[in-house]
Amino acid sequence: MFDRSSNPGHLLKGFLFSILAWVGPLLATGQTPVEAGKVGYASRVKPFFETYCVKCHGPDKSKGEITLHTLRGDLSVGGGLEKWESILDILDFGEMPPIDEPQPQPSEVEAIIQWIESEMRLQVKNASQRVPEPKARRLTNVEFQNTLNELLGFELDVIDDLPEDPELHYGFNNSAGLMRMGPEQLNRYLEIARKAMRAAIVDPKKPEPYQKRRQWTSIGRDRGMALDELGIWGNRRGSVAGGMGMRDLPKHGEYRLRMQASGIVPPGYTEVPLKIDMGTQPGPTETPFKTVAKLYLTNTPDEPKVFEFRGRIENHPTSLVRSGKQGPLVREMTIKPRIFYDNGTHNDGANYAKIRQLAMPRAVINWIEIEVPVVDVWPPQHHTKILFPSPLRESDESAYVRQVLKRFMGRAYRRPATAPEVDRFAKLFRIVRPGVQTFEDAIRETLSMVMISPQFLYHTESSPATNQHHAMASKLAYFLWASMPDAELLDLAAQERLDNDKVIRQQVQRMLEDDRSHAFVENFTLQWLSIRKMLTVPINEKLYPRFLYRVSAGETRGTEVPYLITVRDFMMQETVGFVGELIRGNRSVLNVVDSDFAFLNERLARHYGIEGVRGMEMRPVPVAPKDQLGGLLTQGSVLIGNGTGTAPHPIYRAVWLREAILGDHVPPPPSEVPALEETAGGATEEALSIAELLAKHRTVESCNDCHFRLDPWGIPFEDYNAIGRFQPRVPRDGTRVSGFNADKHGDLAGYQAYLDEINTVKVNSRARVPHGPEVDGMRELKNFLLTQRRDDIVENVIRRLLTYGLGRQLTFRDRFAVDAICKQAEKTDFGMRDILVFICLSDVFREETRRRQDKKD
Amino acid sequence: MARKSWHLNRRQLIQGTGVAMALPYLNAMGMVASRANDAPAVEAATMPRRFIGTYISYGVYQPDGQSGIPRRDKEGNCEHHEWSWWPQGNPGKLKSFNKSTAPFEPLRDNITYLRGLDHKGVYRLGGHSSGDVFLTGADMAEVETTNNISIDQLMANHHGHQTRHASLVMGTEGGTGSYLRTKTMSHRGPGKPIPSLHKPDEIFNRLFHPYGNQGIEQVRAGLKRDSSILDLMMEHSRSFHADLGKQDKRKLDEYLESVREIEKRVERTRDWTHTPLPEVDRDSLNLTVDHKTGPAEYIRVMYDLAYLAFVTDQTRYATYMTESEQSSSSELWNYANYVLGYKGATHDIAHKRPQVISGKWDLWRAENHAYFLKRLADTEEGDGTMLDNTLCLWGSAHPHSSHSGLNYPLQLAGGKNMGLKHGQLLEFVGDQKVPMANLFVTLLHAMNIPAEKFADSSGNLDQLLGG
Repeated sequence: MFDRSSNPGHLLKGFLFSILAWVGPLLATGQTPVEAGKVGYASRVKPFFETYCVKCHGPDKSKGEITLHTLRGDLSVGGGLEKWESILDILDFGEMPPIDEPQPQPSEVEAIIQWIESEMRLQVKNASQRVPEPKARRLTNVEFQNTLNELLGFELDVIDDLPEDPELHYGFNNSAGLMRMGPEQLNRYLEIARKAMRAAIVDPKKPEPYQKRRQWTSIGRDRGMALDELGIWGNRRGSVAGGMGMRDLPKHGEYRLRMQASGIVPPGYTEVPLKIDMGTQPGPTETPFKTVAKLYLTNTPDEPKVFEFRGRIENHPTSLVRSGKQGPLVREMTIKPRIFYDNGTHNDGANYAKIRQLAMPRAVINWIEIEVPVVDVWPPQHHTKILFPSPLRESDESAYVRQVLKRFMGRAYRRPATAPEVDRFAKLFRIVRPGVQTFEDAIRETLSMVMISPQFLYHTESSPATNQHHAMASKLAYFLWASMPDAELLDLAAQERLDNDKVIRQQVQRMLEDDRSHAFVENFTLQWLSIRKMLTVPINEKLYPRFLYRVSAGETRGTEVPYLITVRDFMMQETVGFVGELIRGNRSVLNVVDSDFAFLNERLARHYGIEGVRGMEMRPVPVAPKDQLGGLLTQGSVLIGNGTGTAPHPIYRAVWLREAILGDHVPPPPSEVPALEETAGGATEEALSIAELLAKHRTVESCNDCHFRLDPWGIPFEDYNAIGRFQPRVPRDGTRVSGFNADKHGDLAGYQAYLDEINTVKVNSRARVPHGPEVDGMRELKNFLLTQRRDDIVENVIRRLLTYGLGRQLTFRDRFAVDAICKQAEKTDFGMRDILVFICLSDVFREETRRRQDKKD
Repeated sequence: MARKSWHLNRRQLIQGTGVAMALPYLNAMGMVASRANDAPAVEAATMPRRFIGTYISYGVYQPDGQSGIPRRDKEGNCEHHEWSWWPQGNPGKLKSFNKSTAPFEPLRDNITYLRGLDHKGVYRLGGHSSGDVFLTGADMAEVETTNNISIDQLMANHHGHQTRHASLVMGTEGGTGSYLRTKTMSHRGPGKPIPSLHKPDEIFNRLFHPYGNQGIEQVRAGLKRDSSILDLMMEHSRSFHADLGKQDKRKLDEYLESVREIEKRVERTRDWTHTPLPEVDRDSLNLTVDHKTGPAEYIRVMYDLAYLAFVTDQTRYATYMTESEQSSSSELWNYANYVLGYKGATHDIAHKRPQVISGKWDLWRAENHAYFLKRLADTEEGDGTMLDNTLCLWGSAHPHSSHSGLNYPLQLAGGKNMGLKHGQLLEFVGDQKVPMANLFVTLLHAMNIPAEKFADSSGNLDQLLGG
């Protein structure tokens, strides 16, 4: 809610006026403001409720479980503020009373709204005298992993070893309420800490590295592909496609993988996208490969290049195999190169592949070699960062240990460790030391314990041991990086400069340009838009036979594994990348509704039917209205996640739009209402149009109560099918879609012909928006949102960002803080990056650090 | 190809289904237990008493009436559908088994169906949230918003010290989930869900291979050191805790309690190092299966693990959430597709209720549960079978397609040695309706736990004990 008196853009209100104008006769008299406090409540507010609301929300009925007859005129009474806030929102949005009930005068609504707002403002003012203390909260799994990696200086995958964090649809899981701790959780932290320390601190003796090299020759080029050539399909036995197998590798350490490669780029292509995987053979029961690197080859075989990659061997899955019939179990791992070029052409077997393979991009890999661990510098840097060289180690071990602890804890705790804290761990070291063989073992165990202290596992910015500046460093880092502060932030905190607006502004800009901000964008975006559910929607493979590439990996149905990176995986990247692009380019928040660019690669562009995008790298691509793209509403991740895999689902999409974009809360379906099919009758699980079922559903009154406010938001999405493509035609209901024939429909044109054959009925995407005009399809819906609901959308995104940044739910107390940021945003054309700066500078973001400071003074 | 979990070879069967060591209670007197009429009462009293709660989600198929209660004709006979979740329409002695319940027919004398029980504390929250309270009965809508202790944990608190592990908490999706979207059945108390374990190999290692490759002396020395370290950690955390504000303190209490709990466990593990571990053949189970690739196989491996934990007396209390009410972000969402080729998400079955698919889905779930019950029933223990010493509660707190939380579909099996009388369909409707917590009180009694009340109980169902 922006300042509506000075904001002519509060169009909804204007809109409400126009509806009321034809709903019933209106008295044109202006209303005087309602008197403050209980007097005003008794004279104007209460009668207003009694006239327009209590019939449905009173002693007799309590629709939506809202009752108004029990309200008193005092907003401070027992938690009533939340209730008042929702009343305010409903009046504000013009949602109530329902359109077929007697309507109040708009000026009266306005007066009531103003009374509630000013009463609330008073309450907020009183309440902020006694703001509750912030709660410590444990790091999320993502934060934990990032913090661990930043602390150690190398990447270790540990998320899979932790119990999954809870998910909150459209909300964020980084709040104290959801981030719980139990003995099981703590135990896992301990296991991980020990594993991490085993990797971080090496034994003094320089190990003999494991080395292996394999090369492939170009023999056979005249009979199709050579042995050193890697195509998309139909690779030869014994060729580089089989990769390099390895046995008995070390369990720990950094590896160095080198290879010499080049690309054969046929006409019409720009590059050879190559992915290097390392791990176990993917099968139905094994953890698949983990990717070492992706590269885009453009150098020809005449000028081969040597590429080098480094990583941690711990992160790549191994399988145990028996060497020989009765031999011992040995650890096995394979390095496997793979081309991930994919333009959507159906892979239906080797025959087809043979015809095509020579016309497709190929890689030439002459040799691959690996070395584990890397011993160029021994001990490695991540070791000496902790166990730094010092004469003290020999002369005074306990003094040395104290120094080691002080350094390490100062980073692990994201603030200087106090002397008693260091003392305690020095003592712990002394207990551990006699029981273990080496000094290194004792240090590993001691530091593992540091890593399960609450100071490491929790956000403890509000503890007295953390000063205002270190608290700010952590808050910024966990907000914008989902990780701990880096050296620069910690230095600024040590210099006590993180209370300065200019410094904060600079840091926010710097942090957003840093790659680490990707963790924030991904974490925030996927949760805010509830995107992950897209991955588990079962796509109807009869209707969309080419959407998922699966190859059979077992004997029974359900054991297929993805063959390539699918278009679905790129869709996640599309959505995250799109939001990232808004931040990177400081583009307006309103791009979430519509934009003149999309974030695509060749595969996605083909899927959406955009011409001229070559290459597999994701990037912003300009789009025009005819492309039927732009904004979040039409992205595959959203459309698929909110569909059934067979048909679009107007309710899911409506709920998504209201929750994620408009910021409304849609209550879950109530107990004991008839299910969709009971009212719509005789529908099958293969319903091709849910919109039609809904139309019938709405004819039942108890259903219509909720659905009249829901369905119309989802109907304009109907032009987009269950796999996220613009497709204004659908199969006739009851059609059996089973005519896909790989021979006839194998290539892109054939596939399109197949789709045109079955999709014959024009969809209806016309609906009257609740209390709004009729919109016909997505374009009109977007226009409506941008003109009539602009402020709600901006406010929603700001609220989401702030909620994520603060790691707690917003309450009525934050209402005016949000307002202030909205106003600032409006002045800078709603630039996303500016908004992030405003949030980091806002009092609400910084107050927790300051308040603690006040207490100390 | 990987061996299916339930394909145990003959050698393993002879050796006690993969368990190679002498087992605590399994035919302790010899190869074949005597079937003499005069079963020594003493033996029954010393038999372990076990409990397992298993959960299925998104309701079951009950086309014969509204809200899980069948319609009645003029004579008062209940309507019954061949694919109904219930074996028969009318309450009373179990006479017939329909298509969905066929797998339970051989177990007729060991099972009881219970109709009309539920937890009223979550009526208002709707079906998708009621899974949280299936074993707790907490009033999550109003009072106990962070849930409360589950019966398996109450049992474990009383008797859990008798075994190496106080309880075993499993779930297909793993973890705790969040409030009203739980992924575990077990809760220590308010705000303390116990994350469920979902990786078979991990569960196996915890049960049967907890020391890795270390020798026992090494393990003991390590545990002793752990104790001293944890003491120090406790001291360290307490002093940090003392400086915090009130809210922070409350949050960090969870942490302190966790440290304390781990300390206790270290003590406990130390004590148990003096008891040898059972040797269980790892290769008798397909531990690398996961639900993405083999739903039935996965679920049965999990049941097998519960069975092995029981048969080796590593624990006596287990829960297994085979399905959660919020599986949209896990592969469970596609189970119906994998198993039955159903075109929609598993959840859609509940809403669309296609007749045969709904029935077959229930049948599939019944087959999995019956598989487990049969394993217990086929294992002799003392003078009876393991099933006679194990209470198995199976059902859902989200009974219907319409998000209702009324009248759960419930089946109770086993426990004859604890006095349970079986072979009936009992109905608690109309003025006979009682809280499901009454059943819990009786289950506690069967476990020798003198409880008068649990959650919102208004009495007990001790008539199940044959009175």
